[in-house]
Amino acid sequence: MCFLLHCSHHHPITCIVPPYMLRVLALRGDAKTAEMARTLLKQTEKLRDERDELTRAGLPPAHPISGAYAATAVSPAEGLCCPDRRIHDGQFRAALPGKLVRSEGDGPTGIPDADTAYDAAGQVFSLFAEEYGRNSLDGEGMPLVATVHHRRDYNNAFWNGTQMAYGTGDGKVFRTFLELSVIGHEMAHGVIQHSGGLIYENQSGALNESIADVFGSLALQRALGQEVHQADWLVGRGILGPGINGAALRSMKAPGTAYSDDLLGQDPQPWHMDHFVATSDDNGGVHINSGIPNHAFYLFCAYLGGRAWELPGRVWYRALQTLNNPMASFSDWADQTMDAAIELTSRGSIETVMLRRAWKLVGIAI
Amino acid sequence: MIIEIAAQGGFGGITAASLRKTIDVSDQPERMRQDLCDAFEPDQLARLASRPCTNCADRMTYRITVTEDRGTHSFTLREAQIPPEMLDLIDQM
Repeated sequence: MCFLLHCSHHHPITCIVPPYMLRVLALRGDAKTAEMARTLLKQTEKLRDERDELTRAGLPPAHPISGAYAATAVSPAEGLCCPDRRIHDGQFRAALPGKLVRSEGDGPTGIPDADTAYDAAGQVFSLFAEEYGRNSLDGEGMPLVATVHHRRDYNNAFWNGTQMAYGTGDGKVFRTFLELSVIGHEMAHGVIQHSGGLIYENQSGALNESIADVFGSLALQRALGQEVHQADWLVGRGILGPGINGAALRSMKAPGTAYSDDLLGQDPQPWHMDHFVATSDDNGGVHINSGIPNHAFYLFCAYLGGRAWELPGRVWYRALQTLNNPMASFSDWADQTMDAAIELTSRGSIETVMLRRAWKLVGIAI
Repeated sequence: MIIEIAAQGGFGGITAASLRKTIDVSDQPERMRQDLCDAFEPDQLARLASRPCTNCADRMTYRITVTEDRGTHSFTLREAQIPPEMLDLIDQM
C-alpha cells in the first residue's frame, strides 16, 4: 500500500508497478487502493511509448502464488441460513437501486418481474448455500439487491459490483431478462468478484463469463431437478424476441447453435480452441470465447452423468475459490479444475480421467 | 449539434441488439435541446471518459460522436461512467 502511495507522487513512467499488478489491485484492493490503482492504470494507458511494455506485462504469471484468496471459502461458512432479498422497481429509469418493492419474507408484489427476481434470487442463494456452503455472494451473507424495470426498452442485465439490474428488453430482440439461468449468471458474477475476481477481458474475461454461465445453468437444472441428459444446457432460454429465430442466447451443449437469425446473424460461439475468436470488440470476445470452457464443463458433466450441480459443480466452485489468478488463461483454469477434481476425488480417479478428456476435446491439454 | 450514439456489449454480446441513435439537437423541443447541449458538451464527455470504470461485467459500451461548429469529437464511454440522468436522456432520444 505504501508502495503505491509513493508511486502516486512520481511520474507514472517511473513507477515500477506493472500494469497487470495494478489491474489486480484495482479489482481486489480496498476502495483507496483500488482508486489509486485505477488512476495509475489510466495514466499508464495514455503513454503511447509504453504500449509494448503494457502488452508484455499483460501476460499471466507463470506460477500463480498462493495466499489469502486460496485459503478462503473452500470450507462451509458458519451461521449460514437464509437469504436477505431486496427487490427494487427501477421504474424504467437508470438510477439504482430504485423503489424498494419486496423485502425478505414479504408476500408477492403482483409485479411479475419483481416476483420472478425474488424467487430466482432465492434459488440461486440456495444452490450456493446448500451445495457449496457459501453464505450469499460474498460468502458473508450480503443482501441480494436487485432492480427490475431498469431503464426503458433496455436490452441488458448486469451485476454492477453491488447489485443486479434487469431491463425489460425492447420486445423485439429481447422480451425479458427475468429467467433463472440469466439471474444465476448475474449473481455468479458477484460470487466471482468476491472470490478473487477474473479480469474482464480476453481469456480471463471469457472465463468470468463462462463460470457465470455454468452456475446460472446449474441453478436452473437444480431448480428443475434435471439430470445432465435431461437438461437443455441453454442460457437464456425464451428471452429472445418473438420474431427472432433462436432458442436462447447461448448453448453450452452445442456452442454456436443457440440462434440463427436474419437480424442477429449466427450465434458466434466456438466450442474448440481452433476456432477461438481474436477480436477487440466485447472486451476481447468475452461473450464469444466463453463457449470453449462452457463446452468443456458440459462434456465433463455428460461423461459423468447424474446431477451436474453435485460433483462437477463442486469441482468448478472449488477451482474458483483456489484460483488466485485474476488473469488466468483457459489453460490455467483447466489446470485449476484438475487440481480441484483431484482434491475432491483422488489422483487417477475416473472423474479426473473424464475431466482431462473433456478439456482435450475442446483443444486444451492438461 | 448532431449527436450519434452507438452501443455494444452487454449480457448478450449481440451487436444487432444494440442501440443506435442519431439526432440533430436543433430539431428538439427547447427544454430537451438545453438538456442535450449540457449533457453532450465535448468537455463534459471528456471528463466522463476519464472516470474509472469500477465494474464492467455485462455492461454496455457507448461510442458517442458529437458534431458541432468547432468540429467532430468522439468518445468511448462505459455505461458505468455515465450518470443515470444522462442514461435517461439517451433512452428518451
